[in-house]
Amino acid sequence: MMDFDQLFVTRNWVGKPVRRNEDVRFVKGEGRYVDDLAMDCAQVAILRSIFAHARVKRIDVSRAAAMKGVLAVVTGPEVAGQTKPIAPRAITKPATQFVMASEKVRYVGEPIAAVVAEDRYLAEDALDLIDVDYEPLPAVVRIEDALRADAPLLFDEAASNVLLDDTLEHGDIKRAYQEADLVIKEKFHVHRYSSTPLENWAMIARHDKASDSFVVWANDQQPGRSVVNVCNTLQIPTNRFRLIVPDSGGGFGIKLAIWPYMVILCLLAKKVNKPVKWIQTRREHLLGGTHAPDCQVELELPMKKDGTILGLSMKDYENDGSFVHTAGIYGLIKFATLVGCYNIKATRAQMLSIATNKGPTVQNRGVGKPTMIFVLERAMDIAAKQLGLDPAEIRFRNFVQPEQMPYTTPSGEIYESGNYPECLRKALALSHYEELKKQQAEMRKQGRYLGIGISAGIEPGTSNLGYYYTSRGIPEYTGNAEGAIVGIDYDGNANVIVGSVDTGQGHATTIAQVVSDMLGISPERVSVDNQLDSLISPFLGHSGAYSNKFNDVDLGAVIRATEKIRNKMLTIAAHALQSDVADLKLNNGTIYSAKDNSKKVSFREIAALAYKKILYLPEGLEPGLKEIAYYKNPMAKLPNKENFNVQLTHSNSVHVVAVEVDVETGEIAFRKYVIVHDCGNQVNPAIVDGMTIGSTVHGIGGVLLEEFVYDEDGQLLTTTFMDYMKPVAAGLPQFELGHMYSPCPYTLLGTKSAGEGGAIGSLAAVANAVEDALSPFGVKVTSLPLSPEKVVRAIRETKVI
Amino acid sequence: MHRIKVTINGKEYEQEVEPRLLLVHFIREKARLTGTHVGCDTGNCGACTILFNGKLIKSCLTLAVQANHAQITTIEGLAANGLHPVQDAFLEKFGLQCGYCTPGMILNACYLLQSNPQPSEAEIREALEGNLCMCTGYQHIIDAIRYAAERMKQSGTVQL
Repeated sequence: MMDFDQLFVTRNWVGKPVRRNEDVRFVKGEGRYVDDLAMDCAQVAILRSIFAHARVKRIDVSRAAAMKGVLAVVTGPEVAGQTKPIAPRAITKPATQFVMASEKVRYVGEPIAAVVAEDRYLAEDALDLIDVDYEPLPAVVRIEDALRADAPLLFDEAASNVLLDDTLEHGDIKRAYQEADLVIKEKFHVHRYSSTPLENWAMIARHDKASDSFVVWANDQQPGRSVVNVCNTLQIPTNRFRLIVPDSGGGFGIKLAIWPYMVILCLLAKKVNKPVKWIQTRREHLLGGTHAPDCQVELELPMKKDGTILGLSMKDYENDGSFVHTAGIYGLIKFATLVGCYNIKATRAQMLSIATNKGPTVQNRGVGKPTMIFVLERAMDIAAKQLGLDPAEIRFRNFVQPEQMPYTTPSGEIYESGNYPECLRKALALSHYEELKKQQAEMRKQGRYLGIGISAGIEPGTSNLGYYYTSRGIPEYTGNAEGAIVGIDYDGNANVIVGSVDTGQGHATTIAQVVSDMLGISPERVSVDNQLDSLISPFLGHSGAYSNKFNDVDLGAVIRATEKIRNKMLTIAAHALQSDVADLKLNNGTIYSAKDNSKKVSFREIAALAYKKILYLPEGLEPGLKEIAYYKNPMAKLPNKENFNVQLTHSNSVHVVAVEVDVETGEIAFRKYVIVHDCGNQVNPAIVDGMTIGSTVHGIGGVLLEEFVYDEDGQLLTTTFMDYMKPVAAGLPQFELGHMYSPCPYTLLGTKSAGEGGAIGSLAAVANAVEDALSPFGVKVTSLPLSPEKVVRAIRETKVI
Repeated sequence: MHRIKVTINGKEYEQEVEPRLLLVHFIREKARLTGTHVGCDTGNCGACTILFNGKLIKSCLTLAVQANHAQITTIEGLAANGLHPVQDAFLEKFGLQCGYCTPGMILNACYLLQSNPQPSEAEIREALEGNLCMCTGYQHIIDAIRYAAERMKQSGTVQL
């Protein structure tokens, strides 16, 4: 962390709830989302498989191609003939898949042909005229179906539906079992859900004949990787592909892998002499755009009678569906939170990535860590019950202590800072925990079932992107970094371009706060262009909005570039004022001499020297005022099975929840929801609060409402928001927030991850509360979602949810 | 094809449209008012919320031909100059993140405050039932609507 006295010349903006400068355009309806761009486009509609698993024997597009208004049609076999297969990242078995299905379809909704027409209505009409002969194959839907010896294979070349199976051991796990008084064992099941950004995927592609190059506008969340992947898949040099990302209507990970559709659009754009646009429908989005995998986790905690956990053993089966690009990462990323907040000295984790005929999976908010904290925090409550301990007490007995910071977990993850016991104490106080317990006892007498749930979680950020090569051993990406360009314009105002994108986090505001305090100007004088343009923006292969990396490496790059520009302005000012740089100060857009206030020069005058009166610049100094910097997190290790870190900052939180369960209807109503979290220093606390609450509601949606339900043939039954139910304002609690501020020593501003955290801690907190409410009925919670139907059935019959 | 005449934000649009054209597509593509968004196609998300002859409706569930002779207000028509108090309240209370649901949310809030100038938290939550926000968890949106109600009461603002 930097010395703020050195870094900032004023302290007017950083740490304050500064109004978001993005919001004026949004509240006026002047956002510039992809579908809003004023371009004359032909429209694309995509024909999708109606079977979960089938061979495609014949596709006849002749009737569609002949339809009036149709400009072009492309089919899977044609696409496969012109592109390279999708490159896998984490799986170790061979599995060949193209951006459009050619010989075989592997999920309901997989693209097999696409039409461009004069408008979308005509394009949709034309889809009805495409004739496909399928030879249906038995569908593999559930994990246990995929693992059967005689299971149909998704990928023949893999000779198995298990595309990754790796076991990593750290510490002396055998000894942990030998020394244990008891072993808590449980099998958990977490269903499929997604954060479903309100804006579906959207993109426009244009082909320029003269240069044989493409421009794509898309609401892409990781443009750095998309540029690499699209060019690689199309086999074109990078300089033939330009990607522009305007405003994006939410991401949450679900827009991290939209690039396969860019490939399809580029091929179509090349066929017609105008830009082509594809706007995903919600049904398309829910079918295949995309999901978090459902999973089964077998967890064991060898422990002492006093509640001390000696080790953790886990077998994690991830139903990764049928998208080889991201299959396998949900298991590996769990290492970022494998031991949670606890002093667990030995771990064994077996991770399996299972291919099935469900839809594609990509990184959904938290990526595997919500599940990890769910199973661990559920197991903590199960252990507490067995040992007769209060759920808070068993956690206090196992927390990593503040004096152990920075703490390295058995696998090599580094927890930088934090005070986990204090975080729980604060949350208990804020929730009036002891009062809640009294209230619970009172309500039980009246036949009402109040439950209290606690969850303590780690909320990691900044992915060390080598992690998913831990099993493959061939790093193509390692570490994490971002780029920024900071300039001073003719008027002496600052402008900033970053290599990343914004999907609603208020990056432009936050960047302006930091730059303002570094240069001593107000945020109105700092313009930040959120629109990424791969021709201009300083992106890397990692660039994008994911893993809460913004306030680490994105701001790191902005700070480094601003330092450069500040130093250059000071050099020019020192020359102009005939002073020493050491005597100069910045204030309100002016540089002045601390020794003589009358000696001063404005940013505008410095800009005039840099851009116009260049012969008055100091000898040897380059003209111009624009600086570029890249910044990488310093803590990333190379992937190595013995010692690796998956993520590079680690926030933490405690959720305390009280719910009342109606045991007749199974309905769950919130009575209290307290979140105390510690993400280090905060640049804009109002933005952090908003993301903490929003993220928690993603978790609540996953716990209570949302589920991708498949039938045994692999048909998705929840294809609208009528049956894939999202949380609405009614029924949600008023969240009470508490904050702690343990600065991260390894980020420039002492910030840690903010954004995904609530989605991680909320699953277990709610589940623990529901189990507590139902304790008079002996109900145990081992699976999600906690739908009314499952709750009632558990109370009356099964005793297990 | 049908010729329809629709007044949107005080301006008249006369066009030939297919009977199957959705009103939201008429607003976005024919009138080129892109503040009205599409989020779900099935009337569940409220991103396409507009005021139709003074009533709150979802323009993805309405055909353009049904809007013949209608008076429509979209987010672009809310404030002729500057910001409506509800828009300003969303800014002040951080009532948005990605901004995609915001036009529908704001129109819904304006409609609510017109009939119920001092709604309780529960009444606001109830009123927002048909508008989904995937980013905020609604809390800051509710704060914004309460703040707007308070400000409008103080200033005696007449909505819409």
